Amino acid sequence: MTLLELLEGPLWIASASIFVAFAAFRLIVILFTGRREAEARPAGSPFLGALRTILGHFLPWRRLLGNGKAWFVTIAGYSFHIGLFVLLLFAAPHVEFIREKIVNLPWDPIPRWGFILSAQFAFAGLITLWLRRFVDPVVRLISRPDDHVAAGLTFIVMLTGCMALGEQSAFLRGLHLGLVELWLIYFPFSSLMHTFTWPFSRGFTGAMAGRRGTRA
Amino acid sequence: MTSDTTEKHRNFDKQRDLPDEVRVENAMAGFIAEFGPRAQSWMNACVRCGLCAEACHFYLATGEEKYTPIHKIKPFEDAYALTHGPFSWLHGLLGRKPKLTIEELEEWEELIYDSCNMCGRCTLACPMGIDIASLVKDARRGMYAAGLLPDRLARIVRNAEKQHSPFGSPEDFRKTIKEIEKEYGIPLPLDKPKADVLMTITPEALENRHFGVASMARVLHHLGYDWTFCSDAFEATNFGYLSGNMELQGALTVRLIDKAREIGASMLIVPECGHAWGATRWEAAKWYGAPVDDIKIRHIVEVLADAVEDGKLECRPVGESATFHDPCQQIRRGGLEEKPRILMRALGMELREMDPHGLDAFCCGGGGGVLANERAGPLRLKAFELKKRAVEETGADHFVTSCNICEMTLGRDIEATGFGKQIESLIDLIGANMITDQPPLKAPGSGAKPKGVGKRAAGAKKAGKGRSAARRKPAAKK
Amino acid sequence: MATNKGHSAVRLLWSLLIPAFFLMAMPALTGVGGLRAQESGAAQADPGPPNTLGKRSDAEIWHDLRLGAGGIANPPTGSPEAGSVINSEGWEWAKLRNPEKSPIVHYGAWGLLAILGLLVLFYLIRGPVGHGEDSGRRILRFRLSQRIVHWSVAFVFILMGLTGLSILFGRPFILPLIGKEAHSILLTAAMQAHNLFGPIFALFLLGLFVHFLRGNFPSLVDIKWLLKGGGFFGGHAPAGRYNLGEKAWFWTAVIAGGALSVTGFIMLFPDDLATRNTIHLSELIHAIAALVMIGFSLGHIYLGTIGTRGTLKGMVDGYVDENWARAHHDRWLEEELEKAESGDQARETAEEGA
Ligand code: HEM
Ligand code: SF4
Ligand code: SF4
Repeated sequence: MTLLELLEGPLWIASASIFVAFAAFRLIVILFTGRREAEARPAGSPFLGALRTILGHFLPWRRLLGNGKAWFVTIAGYSFHIGLFVLLLFAAPHVEFIREKIVNLPWDPIPRWGFILSAQFAFAGLITLWLRRFVDPVVRLISRPDDHVAAGLTFIVMLTGCMALGEQSAFLRGLHLGLVELWLIYFPFSSLMHTFTWPFSRGFTGAMAGRRGTRA
Repeated sequence: MTSDTTEKHRNFDKQRDLPDEVRVENAMAGFIAEFGPRAQSWMNACVRCGLCAEACHFYLATGEEKYTPIHKIKPFEDAYALTHGPFSWLHGLLGRKPKLTIEELEEWEELIYDSCNMCGRCTLACPMGIDIASLVKDARRGMYAAGLLPDRLARIVRNAEKQHSPFGSPEDFRKTIKEIEKEYGIPLPLDKPKADVLMTITPEALENRHFGVASMARVLHHLGYDWTFCSDAFEATNFGYLSGNMELQGALTVRLIDKAREIGASMLIVPECGHAWGATRWEAAKWYGAPVDDIKIRHIVEVLADAVEDGKLECRPVGESATFHDPCQQIRRGGLEEKPRILMRALGMELREMDPHGLDAFCCGGGGGVLANERAGPLRLKAFELKKRAVEETGADHFVTSCNICEMTLGRDIEATGFGKQIESLIDLIGANMITDQPPLKAPGSGAKPKGVGKRAAGAKKAGKGRSAARRKPAAKK
Repeated sequence: MATNKGHSAVRLLWSLLIPAFFLMAMPALTGVGGLRAQESGAAQADPGPPNTLGKRSDAEIWHDLRLGAGGIANPPTGSPEAGSVINSEGWEWAKLRNPEKSPIVHYGAWGLLAILGLLVLFYLIRGPVGHGEDSGRRILRFRLSQRIVHWSVAFVFILMGLTGLSILFGRPFILPLIGKEAHSILLTAAMQAHNLFGPIFALFLLGLFVHFLRGNFPSLVDIKWLLKGGGFFGGHAPAGRYNLGEKAWFWTAVIAGGALSVTGFIMLFPDDLATRNTIHLSELIHAIAALVMIGFSLGHIYLGTIGTRGTLKGMVDGYVDENWARAHHDRWLEEELEKAESGDQARETAEEGA
C-alpha cells in the first residue's frame, strides 16, 4: 500500500472518525454536563431572545461602527470564513472528494476562477488576522498557544492545498490530504470548535436577555 | 505594550488563615461548581478577537490590555481547561490532579473584583455573545472560597452574615424607621403580620437618604398599597451576589421571599438598587429549584412607571432638561429600559439622552461590588471620565438615576473631580413632585437635615451649577 | 558604540543563520520532494489525481498537438494575438531567459550572495548599532494598522520570494541536486502558490503604500544623513520620521513591488492582457524587479532585526524607546515631543516597576 493509498483509505477513515466522534463528544459534554438551574419567570421570550442574538451578532455591535478594530475583525473575519467555506464546499476537487467519500453533494462545483478568488480572500483574511495576534497588545495577551496552532495548521492546510492546484502530482495531493487529516484530528480538541459552539454561546446569552425582557 | 513581569503587583488581600494549597483547592472546587452548559458554551466559543476590550470602560479609560474582559476570568478558564477541557482526561489517565497556582489566583484577585462591574457591556461587543459578566460572577465563587477577595468587601460580607445587613441588626432598622417617621411626619408601616406588599430597602437609604425613604413611602401610600417593612427581612442588597459567597446569596434571597410568603404578600418590591434586582428577580428561582410564581417580584421603578401608565400617578411638570444614567442591572441586564423614561416624561422633563445610553450605556463604575472595594477607587475615577464626558455633552440641567449604588458612586466621583453636576434620584423627584392627597412631608426638623441630601446639596453648591429639583420644589398638596 | 566581546560568538552564529536560512530553504523544501520522489518511483502506475479542473492538463494538450491536433496552440480568437502562432522576437527572450546561460540567473544569484556576504561582513565588523541606555520612556512609532500591514506584506513577500526564487533558480541550481521528478513537484507547487498569492501581495502592497507614505518624501536632512554615512560607521546622522535608507527602501518596495504586481498580472492573464512581446518583456522586468527587491529586503531585514537594537520592538509593540528615537530619528522625536506637549498624547511613560 503506498502512502497515498494509506492516506486516502484507512488514515482518512481514522481521522474523519476521530473528528466526528470527539466533536460530538465535546459538544455533548458542553451541552449536557454540569450545573443547570431553574430560571426565573420570564418577562419576555427566551426563544426570540436567543434567535435575535444568534442572528444579531453576525453584525458588529452598533456602538463599534466607528471602531477600526471592529471593522478590521469583521472584514478580515468574513473574508477568511466565507472564502474558506466556499472553497471547502464548492471547489471542484473538494466536491469530487466529498462525493466520493461522504455524500453526493447536490450542487455543481464553482468555476476555477471562483475557487482561486475565494482562496485569496481566505488567505488574505487568515494572514492578517493571525499576524495581528503578534502585534496587537490586547490580542497578544489573550491568545493561547492553541489559537496560534489552530491558525497555523489551517494556514498550512490551505497552503498545501493551493500548491496542489496543478493537480499533476500525487505527492502534493497526499501532502495536502495528510495535513487535512492532522487538522481534523486536532479540531475537536481546540478552539476550532467555535465552528460548532457559536450558536449555543450566542443562544444562551440571547435566551437570558430575552427572558429578562432585554436584548443582548 | 509593556510586559510588567519584572515587578509583581502585590495588589491582593487574603482572608482567613488557610494554607495556600487549601486556597487553591477551594478555588478549584468553587470554579468547578459553576460549570454548566451555559458557561461551557461560552468558554468554548471564544476566538480571542479582543473586541470585548473595546466595550469595557476600564480598558477604554486606561488603555491597559490587562483589563480586556475575557482576560479577567483566566483562572476560571484555566480551571475549566484543566478539569473539563479536551485534554483533561489525560490527567485522570496519568493519575494527576491538576491545579492552578496560588500566584495566578492572587494576581487575578484585582482583575476579578476591582476591574469588573459585571455590567455586561462587553457581551454586546462580543461576536460570540459571550457573557463575561456571568463568568466573572461564577469566578468569584472560587475566589471567595479561596479567601481571596478585597478585605473591604469581605468585611461587609461578614457584617451581612452576622448582623442581618451591612446596615445593622433588625433592632437598628426599627430604630431608624421610627426616626424617619418622626423626622418627616409620615407613617412607615413596620412588621405588619399580614400585608399585600413587602417593601425592601438599601443600607444607603437607611444611612443617608431618609428623605428618599419618606418620599418613597409617600408614593406607596398614594398608590394605596397595603404594604409593610419587615425588620427581619428588610435588606435588599445582596453581598453574597457581589462577593461570590453563594450560600449567603441564597440565604438572603430566600429570607425575603419566605417572608413575603409568610405575611401573605402578593408582591415584593425591590428598591432603587441594581444588583438587588438581579439577585431577587432573576436569580431567586435558583434557590427554590423553580420559578417564584406566587409572588410578583417588582422593581420600584417598574411599579411607579406602571402606575403612571395606568393613570394612577401624575406629577407636576418639573420642566428643564435632564439626562438619565442607566443602571446596568436594571436596564441592560434587567429589562427595565423603558420604565425610568416613562417616569422622566411624567415629570415633564426634557430627556437628553447620553451617548451612549440605554442598553449601550457605560456603567457608573461602582457596580458589582467595586464601590464597596475602596482599593479600586483610583481605577474607578479613571472610568468616570467616560461618564463625565457623556453627561457634559448632553448639556442637560439634571443628572438623574434610579439606583442607590450608582448614585453613591457618581456622587463620590463628582466630589472627587469637582464635576459641576449633582446626581439626583428619580424616585425622590417623583416623590417630591407627584400630585397627591397625601399630607406633605414635614420639613426635616430644626437643622436635622437628612444627611445624604444635605451632603449632596453642599457638594453641588461648591460646584456651583448643580441643582436639585427635588429640593427646590418641595412637595405640596394639590 | 561599545560591543561586548562575549557576544561575538552569538553574533557569529546569527551571521551564519541568516544566510543559511535563505540557502537552506530551497533544498529543505526540495528534500521533502526528493524523498517522495523515490517512493513514487515505485508507484509509477499511479494514474495521478483525477482531472477535476474542468480543463485539460498541459501534458494532454502537448500530447494532442504532437499527434497532429490543430488549432489548439493558436491563441484564441479575440485575444490580442489571435491567429499568430510563432514570432521571432521570442528568440531574444529565450536567450535572456535560458535557464542555464541566462545573465539574469547568473548575476542575480551572485548579486544576492554578494549582499548576504556584505551584511555578514558588516555585522562581524560593526556589530549591532545601539543607542546607549534605554530611557524608560516610550513613544509610539507605528500604529496597529501599520504594524499589521507591514507584517502582512512581509509574510506574503517571503512566500512570493521563496516560490519565485525556486522558479528562477530551480533548473540550474535545484534540479541537479534533487532530480527531475522532485524538481517538477517543487515547481508546480511553487508556481501555483506564486500565482495565487500574487494578487494578495499586490493588495497588501497597496495597503503598505497608503500606510507608510507619510514621512517618506525626500527632505534636506537626507543629504546630511548621507554625508554622515547614515551613522553606520560611527557618529550621529540626523533624520526625520524615516532616514534616507528607509525612504529608499520604501520607494524601492513601492516601485519594484508595483512593477512586480503589474507584470505579474499580465502573466497571470496572458491571453487577455498582452501580446507575446509584452509577456516576454513582463517576464524580464518581473525577474529583475524581484531580484532588486529581494536584495534590498535582505538589508532591510538585517537592519530591522539584529542590525539595530530596539528597532524590531517598534514594529511589534508599536513603541520605541526615546533614546532609540534620539539616536536614529532625532528630528522626528522633536516633532513628536512638541506635539505631545501641545496636548497630543503621543508620548507615553513606561510604568517602570510601578
Ligand atoms: C520579515 C522581514 C522583515 C522584517 C524583519 C522587517 C522589519 C521592519 C522593521 C523593524 C521596521 C521599522 C523600521 C523603523 O522603525 O523605521 C520596518 C519598516 C518598514 N518595512 Fe519592514 N521588515 C520586513 C519585511 C518587509 C517587506 C517585505 C517590506 C515591503 C515589501 C517592508 C516594508 C517596510 C516599510 C515600508 C517600512 C517603513 C519604514 C520605511 O519606509 O523603510 N518590510 N520593517
Ligand atoms: S462586565 Fe462590564 S466591567 Fe466587566 S468586563 Fe465586561 S464591560 Fe468590563
Ligand atoms: S469579544 Fe468575545 S470572542 Fe472576542 S475575545 Fe472577547 S470574549 Fe472572546
